[in-house]
Amino acid sequence: MIPWRMALMVGALLALPVHAHEVSGQHGGRVTDAGKYHVELVAKGETVDVFVSDGSQKPVSATGFKGTAILVVGGKPARVPLEPADGNRLSGKASVALGESPKGAVQLTAPDGATASGKFN
Amino acid sequence: MSFRIAAALGAAWLAVGSLAGPARAHEGHDHGAPPPPVSKSIAPRGEAASEAFELTAIPRDGKVMLYLDRFRTNEPVRGGVLEIETPEGPKTATETEDAAYLLPAPWLANAGSHDLMVTVTAGDAVDVLTVALSIPETKAPGAAPAAAPGENALARSSAAVADLKARLVAKDPILILTASAAFLLGMLITVLARGRRSLPAVAVMAVVVTLALGTAAFAHGDEDHGAPAKGAPVQGAALLDPAQPSSDLAQRLPDGSVFVPKPTQRLLVLRTTMTEQATFHRTVELPGRVIPDPNASGVVQSSVGGRLSPPASGLFPRLGTTVKKGDVLAYVTPPVQAVDVSDMRQRQGELDQQIDVVERRVDRYRKLATTGAVAQTQLDDALSELKGLQDRRTALDKVRQQPEALVAPVDGVIAQASAVAGQMATAGGMVFQIVDPTRLWVEALSFDALTPAGNATARFADGRTLSLDYQGAGLADRNQAIPVQFAVKGNTAGLRVGQFLTVLAGTDAEQSGLALPRAAVVRSGNGQAIVYEHVAAERFEARQVRVEPLDGTNVLVAEGVGAGKRIVTEGAELLDQVR
Repeated sequence: MIPWRMALMVGALLALPVHAHEVSGQHGGRVTDAGKYHVELVAKGETVDVFVSDGSQKPVSATGFKGTAILVVGGKPARVPLEPADGNRLSGKASVALGESPKGAVQLTAPDGATASGKFN
Repeated sequence: MSFRIAAALGAAWLAVGSLAGPARAHEGHDHGAPPPPVSKSIAPRGEAASEAFELTAIPRDGKVMLYLDRFRTNEPVRGGVLEIETPEGPKTATETEDAAYLLPAPWLANAGSHDLMVTVTAGDAVDVLTVALSIPETKAPGAAPAAAPGENALARSSAAVADLKARLVAKDPILILTASAAFLLGMLITVLARGRRSLPAVAVMAVVVTLALGTAAFAHGDEDHGAPAKGAPVQGAALLDPAQPSSDLAQRLPDGSVFVPKPTQRLLVLRTTMTEQATFHRTVELPGRVIPDPNASGVVQSSVGGRLSPPASGLFPRLGTTVKKGDVLAYVTPPVQAVDVSDMRQRQGELDQQIDVVERRVDRYRKLATTGAVAQTQLDDALSELKGLQDRRTALDKVRQQPEALVAPVDGVIAQASAVAGQMATAGGMVFQIVDPTRLWVEALSFDALTPAGNATARFADGRTLSLDYQGAGLADRNQAIPVQFAVKGNTAGLRVGQFLTVLAGTDAEQSGLALPRAAVVRSGNGQAIVYEHVAAERFEARQVRVEPLDGTNVLVAEGVGAGKRIVTEGAELLDQVR
């Protein structure tokens, strides 16, 4: 029985990163790869929320992270600095209302100084 | 037996130890026999692409050069604004003269992975691109995308074998010394193990044998010692010196693809196009030549044979002279034969005589008419008879002096002129040809009937092309082919009447495939037709294709590449030269 379960687990783990590009995440946003992390972008009104998780979709504490999101709204780039909020969430406020699913990119600086960025189309 | 093995092991260990030491160069033989891996000479770089742009970042000396190009065409983007998220906050790169963007980046000095987020604004297009830059340790700056480890190990072992061979051939003193020492050591161990009885004899023998063999090896070694110092700078290891900054050169990678750095791409003006599947009309190639438009050209012929003389201006129109319809180009004076001259004199005399008689009669009638002796009608008859005679007399004079004027039948330019003052023109002979240079036609010979709908193009031997409009085809065979006429559309500059060209006319048959400019297809060394695909920002891969003729400027790629690929259209020939 155990090998079966292991095989299943391994299969799921292998399949996850393959489907990780631009799928809807747990918080209803879009998920993309950023270095070794998965980031989920939720833009609602002027608020930008970014959820960080590791390669197996386990939440990573946002404490110590820094981030910047640049989102293209109406043909103009909007730069949104992101600060750690609760749990695995980084949050920031844009100066303009963001559209339904703005395209752009998110850059994260991990506590160890390594940078990673993910692109949303 | 185990002692012998121990001796052999000792020999082997020593040999390996000496060979594995720092390889010093000896008179010219190359220690770095295999060429350095290509990736060693390519600086670390990062690239990113979106639907609109392609961005290449090359860090060097604390700066980042950013090259921004259009994704589809590979055209450099000028006047763009690049804003980069750096650890020191957002920075804007400055544009350099050669359409690159420069950003001072002292934070790139640390090794490791750096992610750049670049906001590109060019015209009304805005895009956010992420570029990952991996800065290797300063000890080994060439560690960027390296060859597979298996390849490396293979290369290293083959290098070692080559090195050993070279040393054997060159009678390397170190090698011989090592072998001798190993031999002696082996002997020593054997002797020690066996006991000490035969020690002196064996020792003497061993030393003698070693010396003899060693000196024999060195006997030809004089020339070998000469130039170790001289040979040192040529060693291959110098090429791989990690302390030297790596240079970016266009090169062919071991997998056959071509690496062309962005600055070189700018220099070669490489342009690409995105392939699209489409349906085209098949074309046939016909031999043709330029003819003047029959409605906008004309010939000037003399209707009578006669002597040519220039018009009032005193000059015959020369080749290339622009003439207007109705302009007098020349005069033809018909010559008067001797028999005609006597005939005319005779007629002249007769007319003069008759005029004299009729004049007198008119005078008489005029006097008598007042008295009523002669009817008024008789006087009128006499007067009209006189007038008729006088007219005939003057016409006879005119015939002798009035030449025929040759006038231009259409507006245009003199294309042919054979007029020389005093020359005798034959009746019906062409004196001038007038062509309107803006209205030219092409006449081609076709072996099968063409569809009138199809648009045609014409190609000259030098590669220039013309767009043609179908006008009509003859029904009568000429040289077992049908003459087909086309009007030249657009600019006709540089065309001459009678010039030969190849007409590519559309037929009903349809073909589907990818249309590419003729210049995109190059011949590889083995004669196959290839195109270069732009696979990554700085990598091009050759693709073998099967091409079919399409029209003057394009060829049809029937097989070899699919749709949605970026194919080099300009500079493919130069790209093919990269070794």
